[in-house]
Amino acid sequence: MADAEKIIEIEVLRYRPEQDKEPVWQTYKVPFTDDMSVLQGVQYIKDYLDGTVSFRWSCRMAICGSCGMMIDGKPKLSCKTFLREYYPGKLRVEALAHLPIERDLIVDAGDFVKKLESIKPYIIPKEPRTLEQGEYRQTPEQREKYEQYSSCINCMLCYAACPQYGLNPKFTGPGVLALLHRYNADSRDGGSAERLELGYADEGFWGCTAVGYCSEVCPKGVDPANAINQNKMNSAINYFTRFVTPGGAGK
Amino acid sequence: MSNRRPYVRSMDGWWKRDVYFIRYMAREVTALFVAAYAVVLLVGVLRLSQGQAAYEAWLQALKSTPSLVFHLILLATFVYHTWSWFNIMPKTMPIMFVGGKRVQPGTITGTGLAAAVVACLAVFFIVRGMHP
Amino acid sequence: MEVFKADVAIVGAGGGGLRAAIAVAEADPTLKIALISKVYPMRSHTVAAEGGAAAVTRPDDTLDHHFNDTVGGGDWLCEQDVVEYFVAHAHEEMVQMEHWGCPWSRKDDGHVNVRAFGGMKIERTWFAADKTGFHMLHTLFQTSIKYPSIKRFDEYFCTDLMVEDGRCQGVLAIQIATGEFTLIQAKAVIIATGGAGRVFRENTNGGIVTGDGMALAYRHGVPLRDMEFMQYHPTCMPRTGLLFTEACRGEGGLLLNKDGYRYLQDYGLGPPEDKPRNKFMELGPRDRLSQAFWHEQQKGRTIDGPFGSVVNLDLRHLGEAYLRERLPQIYELAEEFMGIDPAHTPIPVVPGVHYTMGGILADGKTASSLPGLYSVGECSSVGIHGANRLGSNSLTELIVFGKVAGIEAVKFAKSVAISNPGAIQKQAEAAQARALGIVNKPGGTERLAVLRTEMAKSMEDGCGIYRLGTTMQVTCDKIDELRQRYKNLRLEDSSKVYNTEWLLGIELGYLLDVAQAVVYSAINRKESRGSHQRLDGYEQRDDVNFLKHSLAYYNGDGAPRIEYGEVKITKSKPGTRAYGAAGVKADEERKKQGAANG
Repeated sequence: MADAEKIIEIEVLRYRPEQDKEPVWQTYKVPFTDDMSVLQGVQYIKDYLDGTVSFRWSCRMAICGSCGMMIDGKPKLSCKTFLREYYPGKLRVEALAHLPIERDLIVDAGDFVKKLESIKPYIIPKEPRTLEQGEYRQTPEQREKYEQYSSCINCMLCYAACPQYGLNPKFTGPGVLALLHRYNADSRDGGSAERLELGYADEGFWGCTAVGYCSEVCPKGVDPANAINQNKMNSAINYFTRFVTPGGAGK
Repeated sequence: MSNRRPYVRSMDGWWKRDVYFIRYMAREVTALFVAAYAVVLLVGVLRLSQGQAAYEAWLQALKSTPSLVFHLILLATFVYHTWSWFNIMPKTMPIMFVGGKRVQPGTITGTGLAAAVVACLAVFFIVRGMHP
Repeated sequence: MEVFKADVAIVGAGGGGLRAAIAVAEADPTLKIALISKVYPMRSHTVAAEGGAAAVTRPDDTLDHHFNDTVGGGDWLCEQDVVEYFVAHAHEEMVQMEHWGCPWSRKDDGHVNVRAFGGMKIERTWFAADKTGFHMLHTLFQTSIKYPSIKRFDEYFCTDLMVEDGRCQGVLAIQIATGEFTLIQAKAVIIATGGAGRVFRENTNGGIVTGDGMALAYRHGVPLRDMEFMQYHPTCMPRTGLLFTEACRGEGGLLLNKDGYRYLQDYGLGPPEDKPRNKFMELGPRDRLSQAFWHEQQKGRTIDGPFGSVVNLDLRHLGEAYLRERLPQIYELAEEFMGIDPAHTPIPVVPGVHYTMGGILADGKTASSLPGLYSVGECSSVGIHGANRLGSNSLTELIVFGKVAGIEAVKFAKSVAISNPGAIQKQAEAAQARALGIVNKPGGTERLAVLRTEMAKSMEDGCGIYRLGTTMQVTCDKIDELRQRYKNLRLEDSSKVYNTEWLLGIELGYLLDVAQAVVYSAINRKESRGSHQRLDGYEQRDDVNFLKHSLAYYNGDGAPRIEYGEVKITKSKPGTRAYGAAGVKADEERKKQGAANG
């Protein structure tokens, strides 16, 4: 395949905690072809120019969620962002915003994972059912009520997009709140009350000011802004009725 | 003891980094203009309670050039406020089905904007009809 | 170094590892589980599986049908008693997944839907749109959070097994974030580290599928079984190798050559019909379809694309609405990576390496020859895939045998105690020194990427869809050479925090060992069976001499020692492997035979 060799300049925000006081930009000249993704560009750097550039990646097909990074200031999956779109200009890649940089393009994902674990992200069955009784019945329409929210690949692009999370890391954040809603909206689940305790709190839905950028950048159409903001009405109602109904938050 | 030293980047000037954030801040700032107009109307109510002379004086003040310019600016911000309001409205609604098909966000925004236009026109014609 | 004492350690947190962890936690909540993964669990390659998971569901389906499809699909190299267990327990495991929240696609009445898949006589593949692996993995990961006895070691990279007193008693792992080592002692260890497709150049696999667990067990004397059987998936994206699920064909997709002709009918898979028919044409087994591509290529009937020869996967007749509903991820892949709208343009596809049928020798209860060591999933050869895996059997395998591995590990862990921690500590220190040995090596000259690309190209040349003794020998020599050159690896990165170059270096060692097992097993199998096909005088299946499993034993610097093991036959005697109209005839003959035999 003979393509005249084109070179694109990729500027990477480097950070090696053992030798760098703070992050520093480093430029690499990468030969590329039109079908190459930014991830392949960064892999070329590591393979042939500078083995010390560290980054996460795996599936190359936008489903594992590993390769998120800021590409020219916008949170994107590097495996499905293509170098040809930036040529002949330069291209800046940086670790996802609003998250601490561990090393080069690798961020600390610990806060995200901890929050994910904290919202009871599993079915708390509404009615018990034995395996012999077979599957719960769920119509296609019931399934559609939560399916889009279940498509989150945990890539954290929405956290890089959310300024509220950047300003206040206590905020549970778009991805995890979308997952919370996914379970509440699943017809088989009966655990809303427990999850909404967290949802209705300040760090839950109310930490969101409907900027909406999270849904813009989400590569899977999860629409976390929608997952969060459709709950605010109920939260407000709950705030006033909890003095009337025993036990507080309800479905 | 480990060599980890996570680096936290500053959030200073965050809203200038992306045009999406600038638009968001503009949307939020229009709330101040809404508040400003509410004050103008409240002053009008106050003047009304102070008698006909006070009320007429207030109406005259509204017709001055600086006031007209101010009101044009307010109108512009209100239009953007309304537009951005209905743009974000689909995010506040749960997934809805009409006739077995999913209601699209564009439908919700379009319906809201249409209702806003109809309401504005209705108020306009009612008020105009009240003038002799 | 830090020491963590667990009862059961599980290496790999994909579908198999997570299911095993849950099984241990449910069997005995007092046992401490260390779930160790070199990536966060949701990045495991289970996530990329698309099409579905098979289980007998419809009233007109039977366990015997699934059994026969699987054993025939495996060209009779399967352990039939294990296949019987597998098909019998598939349905209950799938229901369990549904109870745990997996969003299976449904029929209008609310029951789970099933679809057709290659080589399956009757529709039995459960699916969650075309992201079944994704949904299964996330369901298992999120469900695992319920169990406090599961302690996760996210981004911990295993470098060695601890073997003491003839038993596996733990693992040594690097905490990737700090570069520090942790010794995880365990009374039972389950390996669930996935396949080794990255030894090849064009493959559907993610970067992490590097045969880690296979190499670890192999180096400790456990044989790798049937490694020569590497599955080529017929419909992959050219150049990247990304997967276009078999479900495309299950939904009615067609494979066309450069003349727009459904060429599969020329290869014993016809006659073609308007609607997809199970085990006919595009719903034939993967090895046959990949082989047909190769023949078309020889005849000059494939299309010349910018990355080599391709054929067309035509989905146009299904229409945009149907495609967006049933195959949304495929639609996205075609649009975003190739700029193609599959509702209006056929998708160019090419076969690519997809699955490793072979792996760590495991009995029907997932136990290896090393007491205390179990294996599950693609890294394991428990005996259900034989010489060719049927699509949608491997996701089911994860949950059926994940549970078995967990339960067996519990039984074993309760029956033993950690012996000789002092000796284990010494082993750990030695293993640590070995792992550190490739960093800061003075005088190293070989570049990691160069060794890796030479290996991958050589494996593609020698162990392709069709194989020749001569080219396999070239590859054997090349891999031998690369294993020597690997000792001179030069790494640029000597840091401790997230030194991914170091880990890639260790992975390359795993890849080379596994590659050697693959090619030496291949050259010694002098027959053609399933996905191992030869053109050098051994074109036929040879049940007399080779109805046997290949067993590759690690031999240090030298070539692996290849031995052979018996195949367990119960109900299905080796017959003709036939599909299409020939398959229908063969089925009828078999029925008549069965009736005659009483």
